[in-house]
Amino acid sequence: MDELNRKVGRFSMIWLFGLLFGILTYGVFTDVILRTPANWAMEMAQFTMAAYYILGGGFSLQNEAHVRVDILYGRWSPQTRARVDVFTSLLLMFYLGILLVGGFQSVEYAVENNQKNFTAWGPPLAPIKIIIFTGILLMFLQTTAIFLKSLAHSLKRELP
Amino acid sequence: MSYEMIMFLMFGGMMLMLLTGQRVFGAIGFIGSVFALWLWGTGGYELGFDASIKLLNWYPLLTVPMFVFMGYMLSESGIADDLYAMVHDLTGGLRGGLAIGTILLMVLISAMNGLSVAGMAIGCSIALPEMLKRKYDKRMISGVIQAGSSLGILIPPSVVLVLYGMIARQPVGDLWLAGVFPGLLMATLFLVYIVVRCHLQPELGPILPPEERSVTWQHKMVSIAKGIPALLVMFLVIGLFLMGVTSLVESSAVGALCAVGLAAWKKRLNWPVLEKTLLQTMNISAMFMWIIMAALCFGAVFDGLGAVKAIKSIFLGDWGLTPWQVIWLMILSFILLGMFLDDTAMLVIVAPLYIPLVGELGFNLVWFGVLYTMTCQIAYMTPPFGYNLFLMRAMAPKDFTLGDIYHSIIPFALIMVAGIMILMAFPQIATWLPEQLMRK
Repeated sequence: MDELNRKVGRFSMIWLFGLLFGILTYGVFTDVILRTPANWAMEMAQFTMAAYYILGGGFSLQNEAHVRVDILYGRWSPQTRARVDVFTSLLLMFYLGILLVGGFQSVEYAVENNQKNFTAWGPPLAPIKIIIFTGILLMFLQTTAIFLKSLAHSLKRELP
Repeated sequence: MSYEMIMFLMFGGMMLMLLTGQRVFGAIGFIGSVFALWLWGTGGYELGFDASIKLLNWYPLLTVPMFVFMGYMLSESGIADDLYAMVHDLTGGLRGGLAIGTILLMVLISAMNGLSVAGMAIGCSIALPEMLKRKYDKRMISGVIQAGSSLGILIPPSVVLVLYGMIARQPVGDLWLAGVFPGLLMATLFLVYIVVRCHLQPELGPILPPEERSVTWQHKMVSIAKGIPALLVMFLVIGLFLMGVTSLVESSAVGALCAVGLAAWKKRLNWPVLEKTLLQTMNISAMFMWIIMAALCFGAVFDGLGAVKAIKSIFLGDWGLTPWQVIWLMILSFILLGMFLDDTAMLVIVAPLYIPLVGELGFNLVWFGVLYTMTCQIAYMTPPFGYNLFLMRAMAPKDFTLGDIYHSIIPFALIMVAGIMILMAFPQIATWLPEQLMRK
């Protein structure tokens, strides 16, 4: 489980830095070539952005970067937290699972019909959809890891 | 089941989920997808994923990672230290001078940054230790930093207003300009409060000892000169955008570049700094975007229910409210929701419901956007959920108790409510500047 966790973390981490640099250079790039407007640059930046935050999702989960309402959570003992997390992680997995199902249908449609974006440049949508799908899958795996961790944590203290 | 009942269940379920302490985006997304499935069966599968494609096409959101990156880079680059030294020299001789200086510093930082996180980081790392050393009251310090940095979302550039502009279909340039005077008004109100309070209770913000006050005239000039790069950054980011030279996204990229340039100039650009900045940018952008994605899914369900019409008929038909009462009720609901919900999620979920009604009642949507942003500022500080509150707790030294931090915001939150009332009484404060500059 820790192995999986680290793997997912490492994977996101590499992607994260690469893509972040990617989008930054892109931002600079669009600006420098301002005088020769390139309609693909902005769109490419949008795609990079989507890939950036979706693929970074699992990593940010691992970093505990997502805010929570902690009025109750902050007062609970670590064990209570773990127990509640076991339950709510399942709900989070449900949401991500729905995203995956919907994403799969959407990817399938894009690939079969060679779906294109409605813009002047009109790039195919399948690649970015597959990237988003992958990102959500990584997020799902990370949540599974969190779920298993919480489960282990909540059981450890209960059993003598 | 009636639509009102479903809406009530959705909000109730969301609140309950939020209270379990699950991550905000998970709580919102779970409720959204459950109801989508329940209401539309298998057709509801794609609702969540479609949100990610919708986000893909909202290109102004590209400004988010850029502005976050810029903010952290600026706080790492040491330019904030120069600015602080400047206001320190100028206001140190007054009662509560450092608190006044901190508010002024925050106004400057806000004008270079679109979120409040950078202001918090700068406030806690630079202003806080200085004030603590001069024996300022803890509650004064905490309140000043939280309130001051919340100006970041009101004074341009502002990411909240970018998002509002997308939802309400209002030009971002108008919105940014409209935020200028309300932002300055708010800052002035804070300053007046600090001056009066410190005059009545000098122990809250003692005057600097004489040897620190005797700063020579030349010294003051030198420290003012150090503030010039900051003005340059402001011009490059906001000025060029308003003049139409750069587009919105480009101006945020220029901002990020400027921040890197400044850091390089100050010789602070090294790998640890860059790595830390990149990590923070990743974390905050991912959190922000996932919340918007989940909120879009939630909002799409509402939209499918025809909630806009339902709200209109409740407000105007069943309750028979006057237009101003409707606005008040909306603001009140923002404040209440803002205690539990992240401001971006609130904007994505609630704003599409309110905005058509606000427009129909004949109110100016740019003005409403500023009003909304000011309400968010309160939401940033009010427990149990507030970004500035979280950051303050994470960054403040150990002897700041939770009680200190909670108490510190009370006077400032009241001042903000007063600010909102003033803006309601005189909408011109927000609408005058964009009308002057954009209607040519």
